[in-house]
Amino acid sequence: MKKFNLSLSALLLALFLLSPSALLASGKALRVAIIAPSAQNDLAFTQSIVDGINAIKKDRDIELAITDGTFVVEDAAAAIRDYAKKGYDLVIAHGSQYGGSLKEIAPDFPDTAFAWGTSADTFGLPNVSSYEAASDQGGYVMGVMAAAMSKKGGVGVIGPIEVGDAKLYVDGFVMGAKAQNPKIRAKVNYIGSFSDVALAAEAARAHMAAGADVLTGTAQMVVGAIGAARAKRVAWFGTQANQTELAPEIVVASQVYKWEVILKKIIADMDNGVKGGKMYDINLANNGIVIEFNDAYKLDPAVKEAGMKAIAGIKDGSIVTSHK
Amino acid sequence: MSDSFAVMIIVATIASGIRLATPFLLASLGEALGQRSGVLNLGVDGVMLLGAFGAYYTVLQSNNLYYGLLVGIAIGLLIGVFYAFITLNLQAEQGVSGIGIYLFGLGMSDLLFQKFVGTPRPILPFMPLDIPVLSGLPVVGEMLFQHSIIVYIAFGLVPVMSFVLYRTTYGLNIRAIGENPEAADSLGVSVMATRYSAIIIGNGLAGLAGAALAIELGIFQQNLTNAMGFIAIALVYFGAWSPKGVMIGSLVFGLVQAIVLQCKTFGVIPRSASDLAAMAPAIITILALVVVAKRFKQPSALTKPYVRGG
Amino acid sequence: MPSQSNATPMLQMKGITKRFPGVLASDHVDFDVRAGEVHTLLGENGAGKSTLMKILYGLYQQDEGEIFLHGKPVKLTSPANAIAHGIGMIHQHFMLVPTLTVAENVSLGLKSSRGVLSDLKNVSKRITELSKAFGLHVYPDEYVWQLSVGERQRVEIIKALYRDASILILDEPTAVLTPSEVDDIFVIFRKLADDGRGLVFISHKLKEVLDLSDRITVLRHGKVTGYTTPAQSDRHDLAHLMVGRAVKLAPDKEYVETGESLLSIKDLYVTGDRGRQAVQGLSLEVKSGEILGIAGISGNGQRELAEAIAGLRTPQSGKITIAHHDTTFSKPGEIREVGLSYVPEERMKDGAVGEFDVKENMILLNHNKAPFCKNGFLNFRHIRQHSEELVKEYAVKTPSIDSTTKNLSGGNIQKLIMARELSANPKVLLASQPTRGVDIGAAEYIHERISQQRQRGTASVVISEDLDEVMALSDRIAVMFDGKIMGIVAQKDATRESIGLMMTGEQQQESVA
Repeated sequence: MKKFNLSLSALLLALFLLSPSALLASGKALRVAIIAPSAQNDLAFTQSIVDGINAIKKDRDIELAITDGTFVVEDAAAAIRDYAKKGYDLVIAHGSQYGGSLKEIAPDFPDTAFAWGTSADTFGLPNVSSYEAASDQGGYVMGVMAAAMSKKGGVGVIGPIEVGDAKLYVDGFVMGAKAQNPKIRAKVNYIGSFSDVALAAEAARAHMAAGADVLTGTAQMVVGAIGAARAKRVAWFGTQANQTELAPEIVVASQVYKWEVILKKIIADMDNGVKGGKMYDINLANNGIVIEFNDAYKLDPAVKEAGMKAIAGIKDGSIVTSHK
Repeated sequence: MSDSFAVMIIVATIASGIRLATPFLLASLGEALGQRSGVLNLGVDGVMLLGAFGAYYTVLQSNNLYYGLLVGIAIGLLIGVFYAFITLNLQAEQGVSGIGIYLFGLGMSDLLFQKFVGTPRPILPFMPLDIPVLSGLPVVGEMLFQHSIIVYIAFGLVPVMSFVLYRTTYGLNIRAIGENPEAADSLGVSVMATRYSAIIIGNGLAGLAGAALAIELGIFQQNLTNAMGFIAIALVYFGAWSPKGVMIGSLVFGLVQAIVLQCKTFGVIPRSASDLAAMAPAIITILALVVVAKRFKQPSALTKPYVRGG
Repeated sequence: MPSQSNATPMLQMKGITKRFPGVLASDHVDFDVRAGEVHTLLGENGAGKSTLMKILYGLYQQDEGEIFLHGKPVKLTSPANAIAHGIGMIHQHFMLVPTLTVAENVSLGLKSSRGVLSDLKNVSKRITELSKAFGLHVYPDEYVWQLSVGERQRVEIIKALYRDASILILDEPTAVLTPSEVDDIFVIFRKLADDGRGLVFISHKLKEVLDLSDRITVLRHGKVTGYTTPAQSDRHDLAHLMVGRAVKLAPDKEYVETGESLLSIKDLYVTGDRGRQAVQGLSLEVKSGEILGIAGISGNGQRELAEAIAGLRTPQSGKITIAHHDTTFSKPGEIREVGLSYVPEERMKDGAVGEFDVKENMILLNHNKAPFCKNGFLNFRHIRQHSEELVKEYAVKTPSIDSTTKNLSGGNIQKLIMARELSANPKVLLASQPTRGVDIGAAEYIHERISQQRQRGTASVVISEDLDEVMALSDRIAVMFDGKIMGIVAQKDATRESIGLMMTGEQQQESVA
């Protein structure tokens, strides 16, 4: 009986650990590892970094390993250390929650370059670089367009917890909406979770009931909110990745991160012997952030015009968002 | 804020609470049935996840929501057979086996999702039913009669389960076996068969809960349930193992979630207290549990394997 | 068989043999029951009574032998099967579900006249009829948890009658009853027999066996050691058959001059587990050289009283003095220091650690003192020596002092505890249910040991549900009911009737002691 239980648990454990990402990896050349909190095809935060590396792969021989779904920080820390031990050249800890672990691990592997984000802190370590997205810029542009297209004069935002990338985006969005229409009712709801899809759906419904006719939201639980918005045909602005696929009828535009812009820089610096200590940042100006419109969505040209103006304004510095 | 607007918001909040309560209700009804027969299943969340994926994938392929529900239930029933076998025939420790099921469901549902779906694609969820007359009623219409069919299935199961538990010989057998299996056995009631059936049906309901969640949200992703199954187990204690109690527990939990959400939307709860407020449903559940735990006793034979003459 | 009647017996068990790993639980046992009689199965714990009846009730299958019902061979494969053959069993540990009503308990496992729906109305009606017919006073709508022990037993009887049981197995049915309840239930049993049923009465209480039985079969170590009748045998004969040697049923008592008061309790109030007043203004005085017996149905505050004396439960108010020390609010260790030895009611819960070996249990109280312990380290040489001596002196039957305690029999574990407690040379001995579940041989030995404490000048208190035990051991008998002492009588003046009355809450008429 005991033996059976043991082998049963082992079997269960094996099935659990058999996440598909662990099966990838081959070749030689530059060895890069990514550790990220949600699924690599989440159409959001994690997918953006994976897409970034894949974009570079065309020009550069890269051996890529991914450990995704590590929402437990201890698991991520173990993976980070493991990749460093295995001699990966660049280990990317893609989640602000991994900072503490990285700070402890990086000094043990001085030959490995670590990058983490989103953050501006390199801990003063020579082999840690940090990266950040000026998601407030995209947020601002979305906010402008949302306010411009709202007929009821209300827009709603769904966030996870008020930190990091989510906070930047939300603050930028609200700022943009108010800039476009000072009377706009811009309501923000941080639901307190990165993963409660059902609650995110209800948050979207609450916004709609309160009179919002344009919605946006950030983090991986917003798939629920998008579904709720889609059922009522309420317009949605996406961020972190192109969310058009999730609801082609309602997604107006998405802020998309092109991490390849800074990943190229990081790798170039590594080629020159610089393993860290620097801070990188993607924004509209360096094309690390782009606004991708859903061509299928019939957008009022005037609204798009307002958006394009905002992009231009941010690029030339006449509009300054909260970031920097 | 005008009066009619306030009424509208209250109606929306209650409707939202009912929707949020639904997956909890289904899962905890199933868990209550199993526990009534004396078997604890901590794997509810894992069963829900597998049920959710099964339903999502089925709808994706067939575009038929009902097939999705049926597949969700079927997956639950299947896991139920397996769980009954390891806890009843092999008499594995129930707490550990349940956690095993949970981990299996968590990992397996994601693995299958990555393998067969990959990039999340939405499915069309159930549309709210249009019930003649009732749906059109002012206030109550929107509050109670504009939900999807799953909500009515879940709440409809409450009286059904009460009836089965308290008015049928099968229900009497379950209640007796959860308290004193020796007594039931001595009167010729098969402890094994009764527990098997309770576990299988209970897991079927957990599978249905997961299916309901995926179909209601129109999407699947990793860890879609977000530990709902564990809350459902707590709600069984909250509801003192009765279908009605479990329903009240689920409603309280769902409503508190909805109220907190609404308060945040309107800025009643300051942004700074937002994360704290997110814990409100859990805190209220724990407080209620403390009160209930004092008044009610769990089924005496809960988690105890039955061996004749042992 | 001692006698043959013309009619075929209702039940015949022939050559029944059942083996368990390492034990021959039933060794070619012959047993029969005729309509209208009470046939007793008498034997110690482990003699094979339960095994035989579990075979009859379909819970076990025999390895050899045959069972005949009304002359026809039958195979009884499950309780349901046995019930279908008209066999009913009143289990010692009631097979009732406390959270269900009487009617629900009775209808459990029965086919309902309404298909899958339960038909409690019909069941209730029938219960009321049966209850009236046999004077059982059972009410179908009451919840079992609300019922007294005696009432629960009558529910068990109704359960069997409802299923038209013609053969009733009564497994130690009086173990939990008061003397007056025993009288009542015996009347019912006799009525059931007169009605044409055959009753199998399982017991080890000699007096009751002689009172109720028509015939008696005695078992020892799985074998029949005698068939007899109350007319042919007395208590000593039965005890001899049970144990295999002559048994002293009551210890010899020499006159001992009592001395100073060593235990005094004044106006004690103790709260029970559920906030209930378990002990209510109780006062007692026990002198050096005497044994005070406390009789009463369990659950009337005896456990709480014992725990309060031993320091395991803090009294609300009142005063406890042990050997001139006020120990009312002292810790258990301090109370032991002043001279209390305590043999608790639940020997495996409070008296000994089952997973420990014999020597470890022997020194459980003094394990932190010299010579067993030096600078925090156990001195195993002394421990072994001390344990060997005690095991020998107290005749504890154990393979060795290194054996795991829980593998010993109940009687030997109790002897082990007695050895440990009495070797501490107590001034006050408090023993709760000292022989419950213990075989007669061991009980005899334990009684002897407690009795010897009189010569040593110990003040002893024996709390027991077993009235015979209290009557045999005590110099004075106090009866406890509802947390109070209903009266104290000298042993020579005590009768079963007067004590039985006090056990049910009747205040003592005149003060004797």
